[in-house]
Amino acid sequence: MREFLRERWELVALVALAVAPLVVPALGGALGGQVTTLFIYCILALGLNVMVGYTGLVHLGIAAFFGIGAYVCAVLTVPIYPFQLPFVVAAAVSVLATAGIGLALGAPTLRLRGDYLAIVTLGFGEVVKVTLRNLEQITGGMKGLNPVPPPGAGVTVAGIDLGRAFAIDPRWFYYLALLALAAVVVAMRRLEHSRLGRAWVAVREDELAASAMGISAVRVKLSAFAMSAAVAGLAGCLYAASLSTTADPNAYDFNRSTMVLCAVILGGLGSIPGTLLGVALLVGFDTVLAPWADSWIQQFNINPSGSSLLSFSGWRLAIFGLALVLVMRYRPAGLVPSRRLAAELQEGHP
Amino acid sequence: MPLLEVNDLVAGYGPIRALDGVSLTIEEAELVAIIGANGAGKTTLLMAISGVVPPRGGRISFAGRPLAGLQPHEIMRLGVGHSPEGRRIFPRLSVRENLELGGFTQANRAQLARDIDEACGLFPVLGDRLDQLGGTLSGGEQQMLAIARALVGRPRLLLLDEPSLGLAPLIVAKVFEVIASLAARGIAVVLVEQNARAALRLASRGLVLETGRITLTGSGPELAADRRVRDAYLGEG
Repeated sequence: MREFLRERWELVALVALAVAPLVVPALGGALGGQVTTLFIYCILALGLNVMVGYTGLVHLGIAAFFGIGAYVCAVLTVPIYPFQLPFVVAAAVSVLATAGIGLALGAPTLRLRGDYLAIVTLGFGEVVKVTLRNLEQITGGMKGLNPVPPPGAGVTVAGIDLGRAFAIDPRWFYYLALLALAAVVVAMRRLEHSRLGRAWVAVREDELAASAMGISAVRVKLSAFAMSAAVAGLAGCLYAASLSTTADPNAYDFNRSTMVLCAVILGGLGSIPGTLLGVALLVGFDTVLAPWADSWIQQFNINPSGSSLLSFSGWRLAIFGLALVLVMRYRPAGLVPSRRLAAELQEGHP
Repeated sequence: MPLLEVNDLVAGYGPIRALDGVSLTIEEAELVAIIGANGAGKTTLLMAISGVVPPRGGRISFAGRPLAGLQPHEIMRLGVGHSPEGRRIFPRLSVRENLELGGFTQANRAQLARDIDEACGLFPVLGDRLDQLGGTLSGGEQQMLAIARALVGRPRLLLLDEPSLGLAPLIVAKVFEVIASLAARGIAVVLVEQNARAALRLASRGLVLETGRITLTGSGPELAADRRVRDAYLGEG
């Protein structure tokens, strides 16, 4: 059984998550929306994992690509613009656009490593956020762009108006996000074992040795930039559609990037199950557990003055930080380490 | 036409000239040893040929093709294998993955599998440890892996940098035996070695590199008998 779970955990998890809305009525309500957001963050984190995990390039601005994906998707679908393309087309354009911007960020920064690359990506994230805020004529500034129509708006399949179904029942978005996540997991799994995936790892491990194998470090790094950006763009597109707004540009700030990076590191760099677990814990804690704990405490009426010392949310970041410190102390390779990183830490390699 | 032709090569780092006008030729399937003291420029010479250190002057051509301006991965694709100093295997990847990366340029998977089998035939111990992580191999096994990995890339010329470094004498003999057999497979080898005695015994020709210049050349036995070589590199002064 353990063996089966280890080999087929993806399938088990997918089936469980696919059945869940049918047996858990709460997923038809606000919880469904929260879990959908969780799936979207999983996609975002898997995108970041390509650069940080597989290729070993630090990236502190992944939220910028998340935001660009959301805004491109919104511009192409909201009623105030003439495009009003179907969701699928808008998603495809978002992915291509973010991949292109990823390449544009990668090309001039290829020589940078470690701290320097971190600073550049950090700066890029801030530039994108400020640009989104100030480009009011296009992005709507702090109001963001809305309403982003639900996927399939105006399309009727088998008597069901898809747009209306998405708008009424959060389970439609739940399934859409789950489907996208499953597709990304399968794609990542295949990439890990592809020539490109091996080249990413080889460049991370030893650039000189990789070039002695005939691997072009330049092309390999650029492909990692583009792949990370494209997957983040897909996540952004789903995010805007599921909220029916891009939200304001602050939704794509440094905090968001750090949160996703922490999730990848906490779960285990370069590890797909680790990344998913990291997001489930961190984002789940933030968006699902914290509000629930707050309302649970509320019912005992011990906090009539609304003091943040007595609410769970007031302690949220402290708990979050403590948990990170403890995990890094006791499981430095992450909760579900990739085989390679675990080996490194055991063997004491540099 | 020689396989590799180096003319008046100058290379270095910052203000340091590690190579100061080096010329040499390597024929097909020839084993040439380069000996010299620490800091003589041996490693720099190999890195300049494989494109890791861009030359500042002179010409290098491989199979008649000038290598100027080519990136290391492009030079490798022309048929120049490089097993760099310190082995540089991928410690966190399995032996199999290391070998597969050696054949990164091989698009035909069946051919790649045959090449890996063949490399494991040269070093049977690797075949027994395909699923072990590279970093868990002993020093000698890692060196064998480094050579095998370079061979999977099907080089016409193999640059070997200090393959005997830090290995027990018995292992050195084993590794050198394989190196000596490469000529019969049509692979030319440039062998950079501190262990001058063993290298000259193997090589058809030897070159002595001193502070960035080639000061002596000759057949292996000639050099091994040369008084200057014996004094400086064979420890018989």
